Amino acid sequence: MTPALPDILRGNFMCLAIPAPVESQGEFMTGRVGVIALLSLLAAQEVERGTTARVWENAAIAAVLAEAADVYGVQYAEVASVEAADLSLEALDRANAALRRGLIALHEAVETAGDLLRHKMIVGLYGQMAERRNLELPPLPAR
Amino acid sequence: MSDLKAGLEAYLTDLWGAPTSVSNLSRIPGGASRETYRLDADTGGVTRGMILRRDPPGSLIETDRRLEFLAYRTVHGHVPVPQAIALEEDGGPLDRPFFLMERIDGGTVPSPFVFDPYAEHAAALGAQFFTTLGKLAALNHEGTPIREVADAPAPEDCWRIALDHWSGVIEADEQHPQPIIRAAIRWLYRHPPPPAQRVSIVHGDYRTGNFMHDGAGTILAILDWEMAHLGDPIEDLGWAFDPLWNHFDEGKVAGLIPHAEAIAIWEAASGLTLDPEALAWWSLFNAVKGQAIWTSAAKEYRDGGFADPILAISGWYTARRHDVILARRLAQLEGI
Repeated sequence: MTPALPDILRGNFMCLAIPAPVESQGEFMTGRVGVIALLSLLAAQEVERGTTARVWENAAIAAVLAEAADVYGVQYAEVASVEAADLSLEALDRANAALRRGLIALHEAVETAGDLLRHKMIVGLYGQMAERRNLELPPLPAR
Repeated sequence: MSDLKAGLEAYLTDLWGAPTSVSNLSRIPGGASRETYRLDADTGGVTRGMILRRDPPGSLIETDRRLEFLAYRTVHGHVPVPQAIALEEDGGPLDRPFFLMERIDGGTVPSPFVFDPYAEHAAALGAQFFTTLGKLAALNHEGTPIREVADAPAPEDCWRIALDHWSGVIEADEQHPQPIIRAAIRWLYRHPPPPAQRVSIVHGDYRTGNFMHDGAGTILAILDWEMAHLGDPIEDLGWAFDPLWNHFDEGKVAGLIPHAEAIAIWEAASGLTLDPEALAWWSLFNAVKGQAIWTSAAKEYRDGGFADPILAISGWYTARRHDVILARRLAQLEGI
């Protein structure tokens, strides 16, 4: 997923460190600081859950690809064997990109084949992937 | 004096043919696709409150400022909007393209991500919000300013033009593979909606957070017409109904009124009958369109050196919310 957590934290630093033009101070900068505060809150969630979500998603996609390889071709088994070099978010995302590309190709093949059972299973997987990656914004009061 | 203030004074002095001074120049939040400023322009003792919309170095959505300017001109008098005053497409003294509008004071524009922003005025605002959208759907656009730059598609082509455009944006800007979005796009191509009942002006971003109200139950202005085009009016309805904009209240659309009530109000104002099949298609489409916008935001955030936190929120939080919304809609449509 993009943007990556280090990008966001570096971006927050630069937003606050670089002086704004005179006409961009005041209300605009107040709003900007509020957005940076929200980003910090979401970053905390990503630190807490991001690794777990990625490890789970990579394993879940790999399992689907490996299981489908007998029917749809050995190339899916090859993609399923992709593993992250380590548990850093960057390495997990690199593996995730390869696995997701494999899943997109497999789902297209499944739809073309009219393989309804596997199609529904993949759509169900999408729901789990999205829920595990979700970031929760608290219901902030209106001002 | 800032360069911007000096540039505005030079421009307005030339525009009005009289010495003009600018005061209270201040950038205001919102408007991720254009820089937005509030200012007062004084000419011969007459002060005019104005809004400047200037193209940023990079933006959330690639839009045509002429189209936005002409959209304001077209709907003024039919829909509550500020009057468009001047457009400068080559940037002139402000370096980048811009346009100027009259300023409407005394209103508030809540963030879409706060809880219950409309409180006891939600019902009244909801009635106005969906009545206005219905009136927009009913507005005859033949010969209006927006037709100088916007072609009217055939009713049966509205969906394909919209889907081709936004899926193309995802294709161009995607930085990480998005299987949920890809699956939704394929579903949309496989299950086209019925032809548009009428080809109308579509606002393109009609939602909570894009209208100003007076805090007492009256909408003062519908804002941000940068994605206006001609198409199926149900596109706007589907976007307004998207759960992303519900202010954490699943019982109301846009945090305003219940879903069925909004449809009844829109039907009465537009003279159209909403086809549930069409709404289902445009609702899924709008989640894809949202993802296209957030995908571009993520790319722009990176290309712009991570300098704009609004682009970070859009490319990160809203993208993941829309993944959840898309996955749920796909599951519903597939009977899972």
